[in-house]
Amino acid sequence: MARIGVFVCHCGENIGRTVDCARVAEALRDLPGVVHSVDYKYMCSDPGQQMVKQAIAEKGLTGVVVAACSPHMHEKTFRRAASGAGLNPFLCEMANIREHCSWIHEDREMATAKAIDIARTLVEKVKRNRPLKTIQIPVTRRALVIGGGIAGIQAALDIADGGREVVLVEKEPSIGGHMSQLSETFPTLDCSQCILTPRMVEVYQHPRIRLYAYSEVESVQGYIGNFRVTIRRKARSVDEDKCNGCGACTQACPNRKVPSEFECGLGKRPAIYVPFPQAVPNLPTIDRSRCLLFLNRAKGRPDTCKKCAEACSKGAIDFDQQDRLVTEEVGAIVVATGYQVYSIGKETGRDDLHGYGEYGYGTLPDVIDGLQFERLASASGPTAGRILRPSDGKEPKRVVFLQCIGSRDPAKGMEYCSKICCMYVAKHTMLYKHKVHDGQATVFYMDIRAAGKGYDEFTRRAIEEEGARYIRGRVSRIWRDGEVLKVQGFDTLSGRPILMDADLVVLATAVRPQPGIEALAQKLNVSYDRHGFINEAHPKLRPVETSTAGVFVAGACQAPRDIPDSVAMASATASKVLGLFASEMLEREPTVAVVNDALCAGCFHCERVCPYGAVEHREVRNRAGQVVRVVAYVNPGVCQGCGTCQATCPSKSVELQGFTDDQVYQQIQALGL
Amino acid sequence: MRELRDLARRLLEEGSVQTVLGWEEGPRGARPVFVRRPEEAERLIFDPRCVHNLAAYLSPRRPHLKGLGRIAICVKPCDAKAVAGLIRETQVARDQVVLIGLRCGGVLPDPEGRETLSGETVADRCRGCPDREPRLADHVVGTAAEGFPGPSRRQQKVEELLALSPDDRWRFWQQELARCVRCHACRQVCPLCFCEQCIADKTRPRWVESSAHGRGNLAWHISRAMHLAGRCVDCGECERVCPGGIPLGLLTRRVAKTVGERFGWRPSDDPAVPSPVGTWRPEDPQEFIL
Repeated sequence: MARIGVFVCHCGENIGRTVDCARVAEALRDLPGVVHSVDYKYMCSDPGQQMVKQAIAEKGLTGVVVAACSPHMHEKTFRRAASGAGLNPFLCEMANIREHCSWIHEDREMATAKAIDIARTLVEKVKRNRPLKTIQIPVTRRALVIGGGIAGIQAALDIADGGREVVLVEKEPSIGGHMSQLSETFPTLDCSQCILTPRMVEVYQHPRIRLYAYSEVESVQGYIGNFRVTIRRKARSVDEDKCNGCGACTQACPNRKVPSEFECGLGKRPAIYVPFPQAVPNLPTIDRSRCLLFLNRAKGRPDTCKKCAEACSKGAIDFDQQDRLVTEEVGAIVVATGYQVYSIGKETGRDDLHGYGEYGYGTLPDVIDGLQFERLASASGPTAGRILRPSDGKEPKRVVFLQCIGSRDPAKGMEYCSKICCMYVAKHTMLYKHKVHDGQATVFYMDIRAAGKGYDEFTRRAIEEEGARYIRGRVSRIWRDGEVLKVQGFDTLSGRPILMDADLVVLATAVRPQPGIEALAQKLNVSYDRHGFINEAHPKLRPVETSTAGVFVAGACQAPRDIPDSVAMASATASKVLGLFASEMLEREPTVAVVNDALCAGCFHCERVCPYGAVEHREVRNRAGQVVRVVAYVNPGVCQGCGTCQATCPSKSVELQGFTDDQVYQQIQALGL
Repeated sequence: MRELRDLARRLLEEGSVQTVLGWEEGPRGARPVFVRRPEEAERLIFDPRCVHNLAAYLSPRRPHLKGLGRIAICVKPCDAKAVAGLIRETQVARDQVVLIGLRCGGVLPDPEGRETLSGETVADRCRGCPDREPRLADHVVGTAAEGFPGPSRRQQKVEELLALSPDDRWRFWQQELARCVRCHACRQVCPLCFCEQCIADKTRPRWVESSAHGRGNLAWHISRAMHLAGRCVDCGECERVCPGGIPLGLLTRRVAKTVGERFGWRPSDDPAVPSPVGTWRPEDPQEFIL
């Protein structure tokens, strides 16, 4: 016979203001099976929890219903309290009369009636709850980090320094990411490469980090603690074990006119190349789309050019190298794939992004983007750190910077703020002033968003001490007039149109996730927003977890992030991963689907609909050991308890523990509809 | 017919199958027969009265058939789709069954039918059926036949019902379903109703009221039609066996219409064609997601 206790919480005024909690407690007291029903100001407080424990002990309760806030808030609190009093924690349920009732209603009478209904359904449910045991699953204590930018590097180093092995996968030939391209960093103006390259070297030398550069994640199977990841190691056409990184091959390559990705197209590289001098690993890669030998092979012609192979004293060049697939077992995955900048008018697969053609990006050589300006300002860049405009190599005396190109513009671009542009434009004006003393930097801005330690001081310094001219307004058109660029815009503070001459225009283009992020997210089963940014599990309380347990997110693939944010996020993921790896076994909630072997007809609709791949085939044998039937089996380690299988099963042979058909059916019945 | 009998005898004689599942002449027209000995192959017939979908006998939930050894089953094109459904849903292994495909130009509505097959007398579901011989077959026998052009009256009736107001449609179904006595013949004859325990027989919770009155009848027939969404092969057996003469095919047709329009699904006799249940494609319509 059920002996249910009901505990109604006022949540201070949160519930008490709109719901007559005493009446709720009184109404539930009369329900069959309810032997105890009380209300209290703060059930989650220590005295409140004591009331629950005491009632369990004194009245021998077989089930507890706490009518209070969302189970997201305090289910754990009360289950722990119930457990402390000797009751199986899964015999304690929350009736949400706050988010589902008091917060959204005004009429006290009706809200009270609804609160009684909500609590009553839970009483009927808890009568049918069964004691459940948490699930223990083993953990492979190694991590995979996807992306070798600053976020991925930081996450890998933190996890490895914490004593666990890390597999770091980077799709480009070298780790370093966008940070390696930057000249100096805000708000301190320290050299980006100077602070990054020691970390890169540390990754390379770390005994617990296995680096797969020029590799991509092919597929992911498994679940938290037990992922099986297949990694495609793309063919570099260079034998890593033989190459000593002397660079003779890159010197010998006759095709030296390939636009360099690292220099954002402002410089050239050979077809066999190391992206930049401090690359890690320091291994050349043949770009097969540009190599004369491979171009000839594609046309069915014989191999003619083998200059790199001839120059190599180690015999490391391997034109016949194939992609290789390697498999790694890991227990956690950190996604840190970073960003790209909005490449005005050249987006692939996004028809809706077509804005800002009027600025002449791609057609006017002296209209460049922010990343290109970083390369111009960088001492290791194509101009050796001198600000020279691409068209004629002259030093520009008037540089115009345009902010929010694609950002904060739902009509032509993305509605979100790209966050980093206000700061890096201020930095650009300073770098420019430091290199061209008689130059004038002008910035067109919408707002200056400089929230962060030392950030506002930094932008003020650009304006007040470094002479940058800030104009609040937007530019409508840019065109070429002889050697100068004409910039037409509007100053919204003075209300006047502006037409000015410029020698160089820099567009602060929006931050977007890397291409292919959707495909990767689908492999990992994590959700992403319509821009492709990976969704965090909770925007405030679980900022580095994703919708899939064991997969974490760091850096600019989650939202536009600057370097300090990316590093902080990366360290946060590392602490989450190390926490997960703290014990050999992992405890999981038993809210998972269970198949009734006797009733399962083995149609495997459940297998097809399961978004987590949790359904397996299980053979049922007779006493002689012969297979008599094949039925579905839900792997409790993989199951996330979404209930899709339960909804699909035509014979209702699979049920979610804690949410069985019987329980939910009785909840509905309790409403007397 | 000679061809069919010779094939059946040969299969039984050489021992590649132990039972041939087909039709024979019974006291009231054509009826299913289990041929176990080569000499009994002479009993087999195939003509427009062979309306039964024999695939229902392949269900692993019919334990008395387990002792019959390897089975060769005679299939019309629509029956072959049902076998494909069973293979798709892992009820039957393809290599465990031999399919004898029969060329078909449509059947009569009734195994007792004495009419000659014509555009007037052909079963409604066969009107407009494009399939003349099954592709899922180990052997194909019989003479080539021409079908009858559609559209079927059943499809027209579905459209007519959809044009009615919800109230009128509700009245129509209340009248029709009032005749249901919950004998569950529709379930027993359906080749794709193969659950170990039907939802209609569940008691905790009792999803479908078991007594024969309006509410339970409605719940049962809607559940049945929904459970056949993307699975029904439109063989018409449910409607044929209904002692109340309820036009059950209208319900399954109605569901098939939606599945076809939204997911481009048509019953197929290729088991490799994925079932729309549990198949996700990026281009699937999803305007219902808010």
